[in-house]
Amino acid sequence: MVASPIRPLPSLPAELRANLPAELRGLRRDGVRLMVIDRTAQSIRHARLAELGSFLRAGDLLVVNRSRTIPAAVAARRSNGEIVQLRLCVRHAEEWHVLCVNPDPPHANVALRVGERLSVAGTDTVVRGRRADLPLLWRIEALSEGIERMLRSGEPIRYSYVPEPVPLSHYETVYANEPGSAETPSAGRSLSWELLLDLRRQGIDLSDILLHTGLSSLQDDAVDAEHPLFEEWFAVPPNAAQAVNRVPRVIAVGTTVVRALETAAGHDGHARAMEGWTRLRLGPGSPLRVVDGLLTGFHEPQASHFDLLRAFLAEPLLDRAYREAIAERYLWHEFGDLCLIL
Amino acid sequence: MGDLEATRLAGKVALITGASHGLGRALAIAFAREGAALALCARRAPALDEVASAVARLGADVLAVQADMRSARDLARLVAVTLDRFHRVDILVNNASELGPTPLPYLADYPPAAFDDVLQVNVTAPFRLTQALIGGMLLRNHGVVINVTSDAAITGYPGWGAYAVSKAALEGLTRTWIAELAGTGVRMYAVDPGDMDTDMHRAAMPDADPCELARPDDVARAFIQLVASPEPAPVGQRVEAAAFGR
Repeated sequence: MVASPIRPLPSLPAELRANLPAELRGLRRDGVRLMVIDRTAQSIRHARLAELGSFLRAGDLLVVNRSRTIPAAVAARRSNGEIVQLRLCVRHAEEWHVLCVNPDPPHANVALRVGERLSVAGTDTVVRGRRADLPLLWRIEALSEGIERMLRSGEPIRYSYVPEPVPLSHYETVYANEPGSAETPSAGRSLSWELLLDLRRQGIDLSDILLHTGLSSLQDDAVDAEHPLFEEWFAVPPNAAQAVNRVPRVIAVGTTVVRALETAAGHDGHARAMEGWTRLRLGPGSPLRVVDGLLTGFHEPQASHFDLLRAFLAEPLLDRAYREAIAERYLWHEFGDLCLIL
Repeated sequence: MGDLEATRLAGKVALITGASHGLGRALAIAFAREGAALALCARRAPALDEVASAVARLGADVLAVQADMRSARDLARLVAVTLDRFHRVDILVNNASELGPTPLPYLADYPPAAFDDVLQVNVTAPFRLTQALIGGMLLRNHGVVINVTSDAAITGYPGWGAYAVSKAALEGLTRTWIAELAGTGVRMYAVDPGDMDTDMHRAAMPDADPCELARPDDVARAFIQLVASPEPAPVGQRVEAAAFGR
């Protein structure tokens, strides 16, 4: 078989970037479109997310990420009076790793001084240093009240294609539980309980893991192009591991679920209960030991998300799907349409 | 109640709104005695902290969150800090209620802004809190939500204007939600605690004889019965605390 020649992918037309969640575009939350890629048949079909059940079968297991999105962009005042925006990326117990950007678009990075004090929503913290591996991330002392202060004054992280602020609840999934994600685990954002309970009645079960997402962009094209890798906190609870090991087909809702489950997967193809930090990087050729299918959004080829898709799709089919998504006017990013890979 | 019945809520996490006074305070203490971990909220921090200290002395793991039920940000913060601390909520009691201006004015005389306030505290806040927490309950296929209602919801007492409207709406919310939860392990109730000897009751009816009013502590025991009971209430039915558990 001759592989398709690799042509450069067309760039994403600006109008295909979803600038509002579906439910604020006159649709329902689950009213987004669904591209269904069948790897066996090498076919691509076009449907609605609400029809998800017709592509699954009784016995399938959907695994979602129950991490709740936090308003991770918070204003901070430097000792010289300058106002900056901190974006929480990694939250360790004693130390937070934050991006420091200008509060106004295009949110260019701002250099802090080691040892400098910052005032965040009325409480003080100190800059301990920068990360050796990712110098754009500043290590600051964890705020004494934990995320309480961020919840008092923070805003959801918003990129340029979303022109107006969108309330936090639209950045949350309908099953959000513990808070901790800097950005929405967006593949599941469009799922509704009406749909999930329908699927449950159809014999398609639901299980959940936890993975607190970090930032998808460090606001620096050169750094972002390198696909920076940082640790993310995750937990695969015992009941999720058991459910995953029991069923014939596991569909991950979002790449965060793939990352968590594959971190917890043994060479025997079984998931085990586990929690901790994951630094797993998945890309072309990565073995998928427990995940059989993926529900995911559309993100730009530059994003590390695309690398992970290469673990599921060979280049010719990925190339075809990307071109077809653009031709068929699918919407992209966290408020956009979805894609099911089976 | 014998010791054998105690700690029926061991290992459970309950969030109680309006926990600084009256029924909310009594519920916090009763739930603590039964072994529940507690997230408590109220608008006024000093009274809330006093209740939090009291339940901590009973050995409960407790989180006190000052929050205004009219603020969407406060509600989101309440939910997030509670889940950050306890990782889940098994029981949500939407107890915080706003009576409105006292002495109670006729609807024809009611200040419109006060009407909005009452609906926000008594209807919108329970909706938002329930929505933010029920997802986790549905994932676990387990959980109880109790909305505290009043006979004002079903009787047209003069002067109870916005409060009556809000409690009727809360009961409508409960009925609809119960129907949508059919087949799941998540239960929801609208519970009418009856006339109780509380600050709110004194504000509404200053001439009532306290001897004829229920004690919040006794009513709280009925709530425990309901939460600990494995039998779901029939769809659409409001529950009167006086009918059981005393």
